Amino acid sequence: MKRKIDPIKSEVIARFLLATAEEMGATLMRTAFSPNIKERADCSTAIFDVAGQVIALAQRVPIHLGSMVGAVDEILKRFPMDEILPGDMFVANDPYNGGGTHLPDINVIAPVFKDKRIVAFVANIAHHADVGGMVPGSEAAVCKSIYQEGIRIPPVRIMRAGKVNRDVFDIILLNSRTPDERVGDLNAQFAANTVGARSVLQLFDRYGLKETQEAIAGYLDFTEKRFRAAINKLPRGRYVAEDFLDGNADGETCAIKLALTIGKGRMDFDFTGSGKQLESARNIPYRALLATVYTVAKAMLDPEVPANAGYYRTLHTKAPPGCVVGPVPPAAIGCRSISASVLGDVIANALSQAMPNKALAGSGPHHLFVLSGTDPRTGVYFVDYETVAGGMGARANRDGVDGVRVHASGSSNLPSEALEHAYPFRVERYALWDESSGPGQYRGGAGVIRDYRVLADDIVVSLSSERQHVPSPGMAGGGSGACGAFVMNPDTPQEKVLPSAAADIPLPRGSVLRICTPAGAGYGDARKRTITAVEKDVVEGRISPDYSSRTYLEGA
Amino acid sequence: MSKIFVGIDTGGTFTDLVAADLDDGRYCYHKVPTTTGDPARGILEGIAELLDQNSLARKDVAFLVLGTTLATNAVLEGKWAATGLITTAGFRDVLELARQRRPHYFNLDIPKPMPPTARDCRLEVSERVAADGTVVTPLMEADVRRAVEILKAKKVEAVAICFMHAYANADHEERARALVKSLWPDIYLCTSNEVLGEFREFERFSTATVNASLMPIMDRYMEHFERGVADLGIPHTPRVMQSNGGAVSPGAVRKLPVNTFFSGPAGGVIGSVGLSRQLKAPNLITFDMGGTSTDVCLIRDGEPAKKSERQMGGFPVRTRTLDIHTIGAGGGSIAWIDAGGLLKVGPQSAGAYPGPAAYGRGGTKATVTDANVVLGRLSPKSLLGGRMAMHPDKAHAAIDELATSLRVDAVKAAAGVIEIINVNMMGAVRVISVEQGEDPRDFTLVAFGGAGPLHAADVARNMGMGKVLVPPRPGLLSAIGLLHADVRGDFSLTRLLRAEGANVKAFNAGLADLKKRGAEWLRGENKSEGESKARFEWFVDLRYFGQNFELIMPLAQERLTAANLARLSSAFHKRHKAFYGYDMPAQPVEIVNLRLVVTAARKAPVAAKISKKTFLKQIVKQSRRVWFPETGFVQTPVYERDQLPADWRATGPAIIEQMDATTVVPPKATIHNDTLGYLHMTLAVDGRGK
Repeated sequence: MKRKIDPIKSEVIARFLLATAEEMGATLMRTAFSPNIKERADCSTAIFDVAGQVIALAQRVPIHLGSMVGAVDEILKRFPMDEILPGDMFVANDPYNGGGTHLPDINVIAPVFKDKRIVAFVANIAHHADVGGMVPGSEAAVCKSIYQEGIRIPPVRIMRAGKVNRDVFDIILLNSRTPDERVGDLNAQFAANTVGARSVLQLFDRYGLKETQEAIAGYLDFTEKRFRAAINKLPRGRYVAEDFLDGNADGETCAIKLALTIGKGRMDFDFTGSGKQLESARNIPYRALLATVYTVAKAMLDPEVPANAGYYRTLHTKAPPGCVVGPVPPAAIGCRSISASVLGDVIANALSQAMPNKALAGSGPHHLFVLSGTDPRTGVYFVDYETVAGGMGARANRDGVDGVRVHASGSSNLPSEALEHAYPFRVERYALWDESSGPGQYRGGAGVIRDYRVLADDIVVSLSSERQHVPSPGMAGGGSGACGAFVMNPDTPQEKVLPSAAADIPLPRGSVLRICTPAGAGYGDARKRTITAVEKDVVEGRISPDYSSRTYLEGA
Repeated sequence: MSKIFVGIDTGGTFTDLVAADLDDGRYCYHKVPTTTGDPARGILEGIAELLDQNSLARKDVAFLVLGTTLATNAVLEGKWAATGLITTAGFRDVLELARQRRPHYFNLDIPKPMPPTARDCRLEVSERVAADGTVVTPLMEADVRRAVEILKAKKVEAVAICFMHAYANADHEERARALVKSLWPDIYLCTSNEVLGEFREFERFSTATVNASLMPIMDRYMEHFERGVADLGIPHTPRVMQSNGGAVSPGAVRKLPVNTFFSGPAGGVIGSVGLSRQLKAPNLITFDMGGTSTDVCLIRDGEPAKKSERQMGGFPVRTRTLDIHTIGAGGGSIAWIDAGGLLKVGPQSAGAYPGPAAYGRGGTKATVTDANVVLGRLSPKSLLGGRMAMHPDKAHAAIDELATSLRVDAVKAAAGVIEIINVNMMGAVRVISVEQGEDPRDFTLVAFGGAGPLHAADVARNMGMGKVLVPPRPGLLSAIGLLHADVRGDFSLTRLLRAEGANVKAFNAGLADLKKRGAEWLRGENKSEGESKARFEWFVDLRYFGQNFELIMPLAQERLTAANLARLSSAFHKRHKAFYGYDMPAQPVEIVNLRLVVTAARKAPVAAKISKKTFLKQIVKQSRRVWFPETGFVQTPVYERDQLPADWRATGPAIIEQMDATTVVPPKATIHNDTLGYLHMTLAVDGRGK
């Protein structure tokens, strides 16, 4: 913080860089091919300084906040600066080797050259619908090893001097169940970086190398200072929290333990004592851990702080190798965004103790399922990767939000009408799940129910979830939210509850798959809820009169 | 008999009125306070005053067009009517589930927006249509009757009927509508297929429900306005500007108020389209900077960019609109310092009251206007042609305070405020140009609104744009622009099928359906005098099978054949390649939506030539010290715009003042006042080896 920095130039250059990152994002979404990127916006774009620090990030999914941290370092470890040429681009997806947080997220990174010298890097990350592995969609809780989850790509050149490196490109395509989509999406990722590099170069040309670099350094310092100021408003001390993921077998659980220390201008998140890494794909790799810490800290302390390495510097994270939030290869990690939602609850819980008036109760993570088979209308094999949101936990002063993605996760749903055009299903119900909310003075956000009628013969589904056994915990006397469930043929004699994690379950033609997602927990004693709020929920059919008297009125 | 065109641009605080006499090219202006409680009253009084004060006969008014912000304000202020929704069983929560994203990723205090229809007013009926339009479950009329009974008891003012896949088969929606109408004749009612014939249920239901919720308020307003205009003795039905840049009858707006969200800012864009024709300058970027917000829009080959979806009150509204991008930054934007010590500008605005410190109305916070005063860019004496006194001491005091906190001198602080607001503006221009694959260097920046000409040169230079155009009345361009409006209706219908010969019949049935709708709509518009024969233009949205994003392609004729489908596909591959950098010739192509645009053009008023007789010594009003980044403070001539002779040229630095705006000409830039009174500024920008 000793640098002499210009608060005006720094803001100007920061605005420019952010606009560039947004422009890269717009290009990526405009030119991408798969619904995952276009419709669900599962992608982010970033600019790094030459030392690999994130200086601007246009994230559309918060888990990408940390996904690109250290990505440039990994490239520079493998490729000396002087071997990198203008027009080169690197690709990586392996979380243990310079990739993102799971294999479907493919990073593409490009150097920006000014006068034969690297002055910055531009990068983007996009979720590809399939990168091989044992299940369509490359993401299933049942995977026991990362080798089952798809192709692992360390940082390698995918572009050489402006030309696609077919050697690498073709290997990626061959490993995907949907290679045509991969071509379109990778091309879009290249286009985004090309646009970004051009724009960053303009900035350096306009202000000169030294002035631009100083202003960028200054901007990161300003961001750091701002977040330190937010931390310093909290009482210093040690705060402890824990919650549980589903374990290796039915009925088992796996703890996430956190000791948070709030010090002068810094916070230390220590996850020592957390359970051992799981034999399923719900482990949370290092960058997903960082992303969740960054996301929840920002949301709780200063939502508007710019997303860059400046504020990352104030947050220190420790997770022992081999634990569920610090897995080592070959631990599987594909479904990390579901378990990271539980992790988010643990972090929010510890922070809530330090900031009780902004407290946040436990949330219901989304459920993930991948339907695949052949569409009888076209004879074409398809992979339909979908998520259905749960509900957000209540806060100390308001109800939780119904039916939303929580913490670091955030991609959109697929509209039912779009789904029915694209795949052989009929959605028979897509609704908020009544009475699922955790009760409280402020109630949790409701979970969601979505029913799929199968209209083809060879459909299989793989299922991934959390909080089907351990509900979202209430806070300050609030109740838990409902647990989620996967049910086949609900409300019929053939009704069958499916496992919380499974692969390749056949769904016969005419059968119904019901997804019920977990709800958010409540805050405060339910009997303190205002009559007006209870009545409103009754009138709107969110709870029955019976439920309301049982939950909110008895003992009052 | 002379012919008079009248344009009315309703703003938040003031309403601008302009009358143009088509025969002698004379323009008259008037400004009245906007009456928010009863918006029609202020406008009607304003029209009467404008005409009477300028001795214009009411019977000579041949065309009167209104730009309105009523729908926008109703949504922003949550003043939409209590609305009922009748929908397919299983789907009453579509509007609440939205796209399952949080309203803000990090700010957890922002609640999900609540739709205009409460959950207990969203009623499900048994019915289902599949994606291909076939009926899966027949409509249960008893359910509709029951829904009507409940909604009557709930006292909703409007009802939207939204069924799954109604764009593919509207029969259930239309039967339900007829039934509701028969049971409840005076309810405001619309169906999703009528408002938006496109797939994706959340977007369609949202558009239809927002539309229904605005029908009562718009209906009352339009009824009052239309009757008032007739009572004034104006013999023609007035018109209302829509978001798509076309003017329509009040009747059309009463049915589809959702089409008017950009009625206000559309005037400036259509005015720019008019000057694009007049000056033969096909490629423009409009830059309309006011006190609290700035609107920008891109015009290529004389056609303004369009967009299909906007967010209103947190809900998607899919209607064809001009692609106007608005940012919350303007002359009144307040400068502040964040917790980390960085200088920020906006989005908070001092508004008109208390306004910038320089206005002397009690504002103390440093604004962009104050920075402009400190740097000599704005007159330290008065604005509005002397009608509003300025208080430079107060501007200096506000900027000084900011400078002290930043530990820099006042000039550096003021220059910083200007630089940051200009970068914000640059961000807005990038969104509509670079992010859409357009190179702004191919465009001329058209500066209008009160603060546009003050910042245009900086913004243009930041974007590498070499040309700035300042129209004669920058503050009134939006009102004048209304006079250029054509009659225009946009219609669309989803027919999501592969672009293959086997589907020709289905496409042609869809096109015929659209044609019927367009013709019906046109009959309702009662073609008025001076309008050309209506033009029907056809378009289709195409994409690769598996993609979820469409490109709009023109269709040469209203019927498709297998042969021209093949031509269309190959044209699509080319366009995809041009737009996205790659194509996939082996991938099947799908048609998603069919589109029809019906336009009836009108003869626009022409600008009168200005006289050439003024002498130079008359036009230099004075000179003052003005700060520019490249020179610091420098003695700068200040010209009176109204006195500039035709075909006058000068080199910057210069300041050109007029009643409604101040134009800043930076050092080395050249300025040319043409024979029509347009200022053409040419900036020295970095070449790009062209």
